Amino acid sequence: MEARGRQFRKGGKIWLLPLLAFLVGLLVLAPIGILLYQSLLSAPFFAPAKRFTLEAYRYVFHDPYFFEALKNSLMIGLGMVALAVPLGSLFAFLVVKTDLPFARWFELLLLAPIFISPIILGIGFIVAFGPSGFVSGWVASLLGGVPWTIYTVPAIAVIAGLTHVPYVYLYVASTIQNVDASLEEAARVAGAGPFRMAMTVTLPLVRPALIYSGILMLLLGFELFGLPLVLGDAKGIMVVTTYLYRLTAITGSSAYHLMAAVSIAIVSIALLLVLLQRFLLGRTEGRFVAVGTRGHRLERLPLGRLRWMWAGVLGLYLLVAVVLPILGVVLRSLVISWGPGVDLLEVLTLAHYREIFTLPNLSRAVTNTLLVASVGGLLSLVFYLFVALGIQRGQAWGRFLDYLSGIPRAVPGLVMGLAFLWVFLFVKPLAPIRETLLSLLIAYTVVWTPYGVRLLTAALLQVGREMEEAARVAGASPARAFLNGTLPLLRGGLLTAWFLLFIQFVREYSTGVYLLTSGTEVIGAQIVALWGTGAVEIIAALATIQVIIVGLVFLLASRIGVRPQGL
Amino acid sequence: MKFLLWLLVFLGATVLGQQTRPISDPAVVEAARKEGRLIIYSSTDQSSAQALLNDFRSLYPFIQIEYNDLGTQQIYDRFVSETAAGARSADFLWSSAMELQVKLVSEGYALAYDSPEAKNWPSNARLENLAYGTTMEPAVIVYNKRFLKPEEVPTTRESLARLIQEPRMRGRVATWDPERSGVGFTILKADYDRFPAFQELARAFGRAQAALYSSTGAAFEKVISGEHYMAYGFFGSYALLRQRTVKDLGIAYLTDGTVAIQRVAFISRRAAHPNAAKLFLDYLLSLRGQNLMAYTALIHARRESVVGEASPKAIYQAVGGKDKVFVIPVSRDILRNLDPAERLRFLTFWRQAVKGQ
Repeated sequence: MEARGRQFRKGGKIWLLPLLAFLVGLLVLAPIGILLYQSLLSAPFFAPAKRFTLEAYRYVFHDPYFFEALKNSLMIGLGMVALAVPLGSLFAFLVVKTDLPFARWFELLLLAPIFISPIILGIGFIVAFGPSGFVSGWVASLLGGVPWTIYTVPAIAVIAGLTHVPYVYLYVASTIQNVDASLEEAARVAGAGPFRMAMTVTLPLVRPALIYSGILMLLLGFELFGLPLVLGDAKGIMVVTTYLYRLTAITGSSAYHLMAAVSIAIVSIALLLVLLQRFLLGRTEGRFVAVGTRGHRLERLPLGRLRWMWAGVLGLYLLVAVVLPILGVVLRSLVISWGPGVDLLEVLTLAHYREIFTLPNLSRAVTNTLLVASVGGLLSLVFYLFVALGIQRGQAWGRFLDYLSGIPRAVPGLVMGLAFLWVFLFVKPLAPIRETLLSLLIAYTVVWTPYGVRLLTAALLQVGREMEEAARVAGASPARAFLNGTLPLLRGGLLTAWFLLFIQFVREYSTGVYLLTSGTEVIGAQIVALWGTGAVEIIAALATIQVIIVGLVFLLASRIGVRPQGL
Repeated sequence: MKFLLWLLVFLGATVLGQQTRPISDPAVVEAARKEGRLIIYSSTDQSSAQALLNDFRSLYPFIQIEYNDLGTQQIYDRFVSETAAGARSADFLWSSAMELQVKLVSEGYALAYDSPEAKNWPSNARLENLAYGTTMEPAVIVYNKRFLKPEEVPTTRESLARLIQEPRMRGRVATWDPERSGVGFTILKADYDRFPAFQELARAFGRAQAALYSSTGAAFEKVISGEHYMAYGFFGSYALLRQRTVKDLGIAYLTDGTVAIQRVAFISRRAAHPNAAKLFLDYLLSLRGQNLMAYTALIHARRESVVGEASPKAIYQAVGGKDKVFVIPVSRDILRNLDPAERLRFLTFWRQAVKGQ
């Protein structure tokens, strides 16, 4: 570590790291800085009459509804930890380590919930499991009643837990793959069965990944917006992100200082959680290096007769968390009306799709989304690569970058969108790009920094530095050594990261709402705009198109050998 | 039968409408030709506005329209921020958030314009020559015909309060959540201020465990699926539009008094294309534009003389007279709704009545 850092600096590019840190800092801190400034004022920061005050914080911290929202968020976050961490780890163990049937398929399908935007999943859950849902209908005709509800805080926690299983699965699976196989071998030789081995050898080794993903779940719980927006509406269940709507309605016009104060409060919570995570785990490298050598893989553990039962458990999970909700959305996009008493064959229609392709704003949204996701995804990939390199090799600067790049996701998407609108309006050099797709791309890049940087950090950790170091010894410049030594080895990881970013950019929704102009519409932001005025069937059709795009890209990716677990 | 009748009236009106062009000053038309562009921020869904935009384009093909379909809050946020930054913003703002629109106008954001089409415009539908109410959209009851027969659906607050307290209606009624929706607040507060029977209805909502929604979309979706049998207080215009495709939806009007809101339009004082915006305002107020709203776009027209499915005449007929309709006026009085104490007055009542708090 020490030696590496020195070497990097000896490479001559001393200015490179501070410059990088400055750039990331600017991108991440500009919108948050505006919010912080706004939260300390009595009026909009661009208003002529304003003064510094803590009024906004005083209001928010004296509002019982804020604490109720905070409590709901915490409950949902804890529910996610309780459900997603055990399930995700179990599935990771089954898929990676055992002779589970159809493991290849499960490997792919298990990731599906990550790639569908939560608003859509929420609508899907209503169409499938809601009081009028088709699954509820079958169950009611069998049992005479429906033994569940999806509109309470515990229900939202369960749904959020189920749909976040893939996040835990990804982290744990990649760690399990790298677990030193000789330790497990020793346990087996000593006569331990698969589950005894899992509990006594594998589990302790992947503990860092479990802690990491547990705190990640809490973090994502506080950021949750789409699911509670859709599922909490009828009963007025608020979480910290949807509490913002209440602030606006209570005051009657935009209470920017209150919205900003709430956002800063959420960012602080997130920052605390990130600190806790880092404290529990030590630095990034630590948790991977400790895992030890890889290379010689253990043959898969036989599950015996239980293998079909476990496959059934996984299948059931996929059915409930993925297949039925998606079916629900697709169904909704194809019918005029639904619910008890409707003959679906009579109300089938393709009109909603026709509408998308005849309305100029919606058809533009489809093409713009593809453009932002493909070209934009590539550009942000390059940016993330630089940040990840900085974190890996930058010592103190690296640690600074590491923290910086963890912040943005914590700001509620809508507020982040508003903050970016302000940045593009009031930072004059940026003004010309406000009404282009570039502004959207920058906002997306910043918002997805934590995700993208993590992808690339992981990719970097997987390739050896030997080639690069050899090149340096042979006299190549650092840049050249990297380009010819490490980059070729990174190719697989980069490709995978690009696919994953593509998918996230297709599904991103709330950030674009304020940057949307006539000509730069994207599917996600259109979905949020449409949710307000009522065209759920159009939303469902747009969502189906989104799912098809994501699904095709995903299939293509797995065809050419991209393996998300590899990261 | 009813549909055929409307169709005939519509065909007649279209023929008439095609001949009548909006009255606009030729000098304004010439100036708009030079501007060649028009930026609109609007809360009207593009799908219902498209017919209006196409028709306007056929009148003035030289004007390129940039139509931004946004939420009411986003319209306000963006316009205020962009104006403060001196950046490009809307020329024309058209939104159903009446308070926000009037607030902007009263803070000096509007361009004064005496539209030649507004000669006999109702006095409660204009704020001087700054802002104009372009529609008259009644709050109605939307219900699902699979679960409620039309004759079962009450048309007064009193009988509605009785019906929803029947056991089968428990959890089956939806209305606005005024604590989470600005537009919902405007409608329900007007209802509260004007009609004493609303208070008993609000308490009935509480007893019936009514679901409270922050958006029209979610509420309608759940009436369509039958999760709720009826929804109270949502816009008749959206309901008509949905009813066109979803045959299960029924609409009932309140005969003991109906609240109606107006979509308020104004031209920005800093508009880059003020003349094009003037033409669009003339068009929206013109017989031709209003006819199109009443027949095709199904956004209730404001002109009293218009006949059609979504017109004042049709509303008066449905509710039993003009005196039964309370149209929230486009005036500075509505700014009282933004006063914290005034908001609290209604919200305190609401919480007590509906949530027992």
